[in-house]
Amino acid sequence: MRLHSLTLRDFRGVKDRTVRLPALGTTVVVGDNEVGKSSLVEAFGLIFDFPDDSKSTRIRDIQPVGQDVGPTVTAELTLGGRELIYTKRWLKNRSTELAIVAADGRRTAWTGREAHNEAERLFHEYVDPVLWQTLMVSQGQSLILPSPADAEPLIAAVTAESGTPVDGASMPLVSAVEHEYLRYWTRGGRATGDYARSEKTVTAAELQAAHALKAMEDVQQDIRRAERLTLDLADVDNRLADHLSTVEEVRERKQATDEILLRRDTVRSKAETARARLVNHTRTREERERLLDEVERFTKIDVELAERRADADTVAKAATETVQAAEAALAEVIDLKDIRRTDVQDAERRVSRLVDEAELERLIGQQTELIDVRSRIVTAAAVLDKIKVDDGLFAALEDARSAVVEARAALAAGVPEVVVRRLGAEPVELSGKGVESGQKSTGRMPKELGFDESAELLVSGELTIGVPGQLEVTIRAGGEAATLRSRVDDAVRRERELLKKAGVKDVAAAREQLRRADTASAELQEARRTERSLTSAGDPGERIAVLTARLGIGDEDGEQGGSKQAAVEGVPGQMSLFEEFVSPLDTLFDDFELPEAPADDLGAAQRVLDDVRAELAGVERLLTDAEFAAAQARKAADEDRSEAQQARARSEIAEERLAAAIDSLSSARKALDDAAVSAAEADAMAEVEAVLEELTAVQEQADAAGADQVAGELVDALAVATRMQGERDTLRDALRTTEGRLEQSGRDGLATRRDMAELELADVRSEHERLERRAEAARRVYETLGRHRAEAQTKYSEPLQTRIEALGRSVYGPSFKIWLDDDLAVAERELDGIRLPIEALSTGAQEQLAIITRLAISHLVSTGDGSVPVIFDDALGWSDKARLRDMGALLGRAGDHGQVIILTCMPDRYEYVPKATFIKLDG
Amino acid sequence: MEDSITFLHSSDWQLGMLRRFLGPDGQARWGQARLDAVARIGEVAEQSGAAFVVVTGDVFEHNQVERQTILRACEALKRIQVPVVLLPGNHDALEPGSLWTSSQWQAHAPKHVTVLTDTTPVEIVPGVEVVGAPWRSRRPTSDPAAAAYADLQPPPAGTTRVLLAHGQLTSLSGGMSEVPPIDQVALEAAVADGRVQYVGLGDRHSATKVTDRIWFSGTQEVTTPEETDPGNVLKVTVSQSEIEVEPIRVGAWHMVDHRVELFDEESLQALEDWFAELPDKERTYVRLAGDGSLTLPLLSRLDTMIDVQGEAFASVEKWAKFWTVRPAPDAADLDALQLSGPARAAMEELRQALAGGDEGAGAALSLMHRLARDAG
Repeated sequence: MRLHSLTLRDFRGVKDRTVRLPALGTTVVVGDNEVGKSSLVEAFGLIFDFPDDSKSTRIRDIQPVGQDVGPTVTAELTLGGRELIYTKRWLKNRSTELAIVAADGRRTAWTGREAHNEAERLFHEYVDPVLWQTLMVSQGQSLILPSPADAEPLIAAVTAESGTPVDGASMPLVSAVEHEYLRYWTRGGRATGDYARSEKTVTAAELQAAHALKAMEDVQQDIRRAERLTLDLADVDNRLADHLSTVEEVRERKQATDEILLRRDTVRSKAETARARLVNHTRTREERERLLDEVERFTKIDVELAERRADADTVAKAATETVQAAEAALAEVIDLKDIRRTDVQDAERRVSRLVDEAELERLIGQQTELIDVRSRIVTAAAVLDKIKVDDGLFAALEDARSAVVEARAALAAGVPEVVVRRLGAEPVELSGKGVESGQKSTGRMPKELGFDESAELLVSGELTIGVPGQLEVTIRAGGEAATLRSRVDDAVRRERELLKKAGVKDVAAAREQLRRADTASAELQEARRTERSLTSAGDPGERIAVLTARLGIGDEDGEQGGSKQAAVEGVPGQMSLFEEFVSPLDTLFDDFELPEAPADDLGAAQRVLDDVRAELAGVERLLTDAEFAAAQARKAADEDRSEAQQARARSEIAEERLAAAIDSLSSARKALDDAAVSAAEADAMAEVEAVLEELTAVQEQADAAGADQVAGELVDALAVATRMQGERDTLRDALRTTEGRLEQSGRDGLATRRDMAELELADVRSEHERLERRAEAARRVYETLGRHRAEAQTKYSEPLQTRIEALGRSVYGPSFKIWLDDDLAVAERELDGIRLPIEALSTGAQEQLAIITRLAISHLVSTGDGSVPVIFDDALGWSDKARLRDMGALLGRAGDHGQVIILTCMPDRYEYVPKATFIKLDG
Repeated sequence: MEDSITFLHSSDWQLGMLRRFLGPDGQARWGQARLDAVARIGEVAEQSGAAFVVVTGDVFEHNQVERQTILRACEALKRIQVPVVLLPGNHDALEPGSLWTSSQWQAHAPKHVTVLTDTTPVEIVPGVEVVGAPWRSRRPTSDPAAAAYADLQPPPAGTTRVLLAHGQLTSLSGGMSEVPPIDQVALEAAVADGRVQYVGLGDRHSATKVTDRIWFSGTQEVTTPEETDPGNVLKVTVSQSEIEVEPIRVGAWHMVDHRVELFDEESLQALEDWFAELPDKERTYVRLAGDGSLTLPLLSRLDTMIDVQGEAFASVEKWAKFWTVRPAPDAADLDALQLSGPARAAMEELRQALAGGDEGAGAALSLMHRLARDAG
């Protein structure tokens, strides 16, 4: 479709305007806001959509406010190879006129509703609505990216270009396949709907069938059980009948033997009586013997205990004596300990005195040494006072010496050396200032030279050599000489001052003084150290005074201690228990003598002290032993006393028991004497023997008849019969129970139930298998078709993608790439290696991409009948100048392939569109 | 026929039997038909002057059938006016929990019905002695008929003896029976030496003549397509010297196996014609065995045909074990759909997979073909 002209009359604010558009190329329609640019686009839509008699509000809205006029639109366009002139007037004086000039020049005209219908038909035939909507961008919609997948002309174009038939025509099949798939599967691939339900139904039916089958298996088991029980019951019945006849037989035999057994019981009873009597007599005899024994035994015990009581009394008495002895010994040892303690105190005093004496002697020596040291300090200090040279002064002296030498050397080098020799007889007189001997000569300048005498002179001032009356030569040193001279003088002066300060004549003397000072200083330090060490423990004089007082020098009778204790006499008559303790005690008393030490021998006094201390320790140990021995003796005495008391008590009890036994025996004898007791027992014994003989005879009879076994046999047989009857009853009960169950299962129709459950299961399984086959087929088709569609989709989108990328690269450069989604909408863009979803791009970039995409679509469809103009009602509002230039170029080029119409109030944005036709709308 | 007696011989009613392939409606009607056939036996008895009716085993499908089955069986038996002798067979053996000893049977069994519970001969009508070998267990350990005649002497003069037994004959079982078969030679000897004048056998569902005097009556109403001559009752007229056995149809149903080879439209049409010609469609079950291959449209037509016939017949089903009709789509099929692009490519892929032996692809292809056809 190409739009050639559009005329609006009485349309909104437009009174009468015609806009003519070139069939090819880019047209920019410029007009201020409210001038009616958008009305052009609106008018073109309305003329095809609304008949002239429409009452739609959209039609009423286009009537100029307050004017009773009929809005009129005339459009001239090419559609499907025909030229159309289409005019419509609404509301007032309604009319529709359509004139069509076919390609062959034939002209046809319609009016009224026919005109509308024909125009509408042609429009729908040649203008794809999706494409039309895609390429017409209304105001404010320039950001929306197109999704043109369903645009038929585009499909045709990409099909033609890619060689891949797009299945646009098969969309109903795709829908049908998807619909079929979704009958059985969710999009996630899980079973759904009837198929999923049938799966559950099968599970339920399986469960039911399994239950029913199990019930019938139980029935089968019951049948087998009942068969078995019937057989077992018959068997038990037979065996029981056999056994009962055996029982009868045994019972008859038993009746025959019962008489013998009755007799045996009578004899047994007699025997028991006789035996009891015998036991009675025997017991009487034994009791008598026991009483006799008891009297004898208690008599013996009584005697024995009396003896033991006497012994215990003796022992207790002895123990009391032992305690007394032990306590006496303990008292003695305590005394001894006191003596030894006094010895120790004496020895300690003696040692202390000797120590004080030794200390006094040492302190006196120290005092003498201190006096000597103090005189050395005074001497060394006097020496040091006299010496003025110290290390600093000496160093200054050495420096001054060097300065003199250096200055002299510089003088010698810097001033003329005059050598004057007297060759003749004439006196030669030398005078002047600043003259001194040269290096090789010494001494001062002579005033006169002798014959053949010569002088080497360094002239730093002025030298006058005169031969009186004949010659006078004056040599004046110039240049540096005066300076050099003054340096020498300064150096010499400095040295003299320092020597004076040191009180020495030269440097060597100063060095000697310095050495002496060092020596005196060292001695002084050593003497002071010695003094400090001698006085570190205080002034020896004070301590000498203290010690002298303590020792009482001049009181020679101060010696004390050393008095001996008299030896302790041994203790006679100790008890044997104490022998062990007493014997070392004896030794101690016998042997120990307190040793005497020489009055002035400290070592000996110390040894004496150690000895007496050891003695004291020995006595203390002895005391501990004596205390222990006394305690032991007291404890033993207590025990012996207790033992004696017990022995006395036991003896008294024994006497009482003996008396009681004698009483019992005499009472018994009063009733029956000893001989009668023995005779009664012998009689009873004889009776027992007689009865036993009789019993033996009866037993032999019973044994011969087997009487005892028969009873056992009968009991056994009856027990077996009872057991067998029990077995039979159990079997009968089990059979009845089983038969009852079977009767019930018959009533329940379990087999029919099982058959029905299996039938139901087979049915639902078959249905499920049928659904499964269908579901699998649906899935197979869905997946296969889906895969092929996806592959086609890739190829299908290529032409559009290529176009968009080609156009985009002219704006963004060679790195520009895009990706399309299934709807052929741009999904992602890559620039300079960065790939972003469209939503992430800037507004400007999104708008540019939307425009580029439309131009690419327009380009693709441009060759077919279905092409339509690209219309932008205001766009590029978000682009900077550089982009406007590139986009302008693009819009210009787009005009080469089709009709591009831009409506704008901002013509500046499009000034870079080459070859554009600008149409200015005036208000 | 001099001194002859006429009676009816039937067996294998198997009341309470269910058939999966019939569906709920077919099952109900077929179940009723089996009872109706019993009633028709009563009519035949009346018409033929039969003195009594013998049923040689498997009157019921199980010992544990539901009560409704027992009650309806009793009602059907009441439609037979003459004495009826029933023999327990393997399905309704006289085992513990047997239906025959149940309170339900005892309470409702008609008075003219005698169940043989042992091998004692019963004089069912004057001059006729019936002796049978009831099954006491489903797993007999010896010839299930022998006990009935082993100790028999020839009947008194003027008495006709009828032996009733249930089981397979050595000559007919093919040695496949799980239980011991009936010794045919011994049986024939018993007939030959006059101990019995007729042997009525049950278990085989097809009416079968073993010898002049030894017969299987077959079931009163068909139960599977394999049966060759079901749906009869035998009218037996017997005397010492002569015998006449006449099968009289009492069944109303048909069960048919049909084998077809399908490869083109003509063969498909032949099948359609075959269906059209079958009588009693609502009482007929057809089991189709098929081989061959069909183009997708023909395959689709075949499926439709079977669906339609399934509505008309009691049931029509493909015999899965013997159904090997494959789709054979050719390029023309696909062209006819005017598919292009991915749809065409997908279909082509499925076609090739099918050609490569992928069975799943066949179903998918048929489905896609149908969807494409409907969508087009």
